[in-house]
Amino acid sequence: MDILEGLMGGFATCLTPYKLWMALLGCLLGTLVGILPGLGPSATIAILLPITFGMDATPAMIMMCAVYYGAMYGGSTTSILINVPGESSSVITAIEGHQLAIQGKAGTALGLSAIGSFVAGILGTIGLVVAAVPLAEFSLQFGPAEFFSLIVMGMLTIIFVGGKSIPKSLMSAMIGLGLGCVGTDIVEGKDRFTYGTAELLDGIDFVVLVMGTFGIAEVLVSAEEFMKVEPIKVKFRELFPSLKEILQCKWAILRGTLIGFIIGVLPGAGPTIASFVTYGIEKSVHKHPETFGTGVLEGVAGPESSNNAATSGAMVPMFALGIPGSGATAVMLGALILYGLKPGPMLFIENADFVWAVMASMFIGNVILIIMNLPMVPLFASLLRISYALIYPAILIICVIGAYAISTSLFDVGMMLIFGVAGYFMKRADIPPAPMLLALLLGPMMERALYQALNLSHGSMLVFITRPISGTLLAISLIMCIAVGTKAVKRARAMVKDEQN
Amino acid sequence: MRKADRIFGVIGLGLSLWCYLESRQFHYMTDFTPGPGFMPFWVGVILAILSCYLLYDTFRRKPGTEDDMKILPHKHALYRVGFIFLMLFGVLMIMPLLGFPITVCLFVAAILLILERYSIIKSIGYGVAYAAVTWLIFEYLLNMSLPKGFLGI
Repeated sequence: MDILEGLMGGFATCLTPYKLWMALLGCLLGTLVGILPGLGPSATIAILLPITFGMDATPAMIMMCAVYYGAMYGGSTTSILINVPGESSSVITAIEGHQLAIQGKAGTALGLSAIGSFVAGILGTIGLVVAAVPLAEFSLQFGPAEFFSLIVMGMLTIIFVGGKSIPKSLMSAMIGLGLGCVGTDIVEGKDRFTYGTAELLDGIDFVVLVMGTFGIAEVLVSAEEFMKVEPIKVKFRELFPSLKEILQCKWAILRGTLIGFIIGVLPGAGPTIASFVTYGIEKSVHKHPETFGTGVLEGVAGPESSNNAATSGAMVPMFALGIPGSGATAVMLGALILYGLKPGPMLFIENADFVWAVMASMFIGNVILIIMNLPMVPLFASLLRISYALIYPAILIICVIGAYAISTSLFDVGMMLIFGVAGYFMKRADIPPAPMLLALLLGPMMERALYQALNLSHGSMLVFITRPISGTLLAISLIMCIAVGTKAVKRARAMVKDEQN
Repeated sequence: MRKADRIFGVIGLGLSLWCYLESRQFHYMTDFTPGPGFMPFWVGVILAILSCYLLYDTFRRKPGTEDDMKILPHKHALYRVGFIFLMLFGVLMIMPLLGFPITVCLFVAAILLILERYSIIKSIGYGVAYAAVTWLIFEYLLNMSLPKGFLGI
């Protein structure tokens, strides 16, 4: 199907009052989640998932995607006004944005971040439409061996890029793989790690894990202290940056969009890393890099554009290959499976209407968000005055309802609480939960691909190397391992040298 | 972080042993393909290696300000987190008995009254409001079946 034709069909599908309402609701929820610290888009999408079980897949996914990119818009508000990032991808915005707010330019910073996010959102969605179709067509050549190698590469990227410490990320992924083993195995139909518990026969539901490690754990961390914030006030007329300021940031916005989209496509390297890389590049290309940290407009516009473009980029492997690149896309991928759809190349053939409608809705969603975010920022900012003490009980109740709704059983609620406590201590120990979540989702897929590939090759492991695409993917994985290993050895040697000195 | 890493290293070793023992109950390989014991075996082995590395690393590292961060938060934060968790556990226990709206009302009121030091009237007020709103949204608007207690709600 022609891309333009498909996109027009997508607009026709999603331009109905109900789907527009879903997009609007998703944008509103996303903005709120971005603004309010304590709940990220991954947890919000996970909470929404059981609630949307009764819905058709298209409006449900339109809403979930809108939550994801809407959170990127909202995240900048708290970063700029109170120096507390509502989202990890807005951490870098706080550096320059809050300095601008202190100088009385909060409106300009918020306006520029909204405009940058809008441009990046639209261009990123164009990138998604253009890149996903050829990638999906290419991946039709993939067999089990290729999928196995792709999952290995994806998981390694997530581990190498995702956290501060590679061994800890790897441990997190291994725990996820272990959790993925729970349930009936695909080879002999034996029950692993179930110990006679009927609820575990289908495995651990990833929604329970997400709500525990992202929802409950995030609330527990945020609730450690009384949170009292006093945001800087912004007036409506101050929200529109001058034409000179917009033109000053045009290259920063475009650079941020391009970098964000490319980084977003890579598994594991989501909006947060994209915003950090863009900030570094903006600093290096700026005429006065020494002014960074004192309130530079490009330092807000670039990273904010970047994190928005990265959300579109992250959806490329999700739609085209059925491989999630981040926590939020992992939840959305799980949602696709729950709705009975087959993520991956066949999605474009079997459910083309659905894919095009979701992609078209992203254009509409970005328009809704710019309208919502520019004039309504003072209203959203006033939400920050609501005490966190009143917000977190509501989040916890919604998590309980979400877990209960999966199979109308309190067993899942109990599991969620266990994962919540585990997630809390993982956060305290700096162990990233995202590799665990992705491994839980990808582990069974990897095991199945390994089983099918070896069955077809009569047990020959050479199938992974002799098939060109699979061999290339494994070679890339090996190069990554060598590069990371060499770096680690060098660092260890430097540490030993330091100790000797 | 050294203490936290040590604890996680030991937990990791325990989990790896668990995976290994579980894997022994199944076939490692079938005719051509990996059996049900293949994945848990390798998860156990790799987890054991990583846990040992984490433990070794904690003895190699010099203690520093950041390195001495404890896995448990300070007393006040621990009290708050512990209380919230106990309340959530309580929700799990009493929900089948009291039903969703009453449990939510008690949960919110207890958190606001004891932890956040709201007045008793405000705490109960918010509790009733939260229970009513969530019950109406999920039970009526979204047609979900929430747990019912002895009062039938």
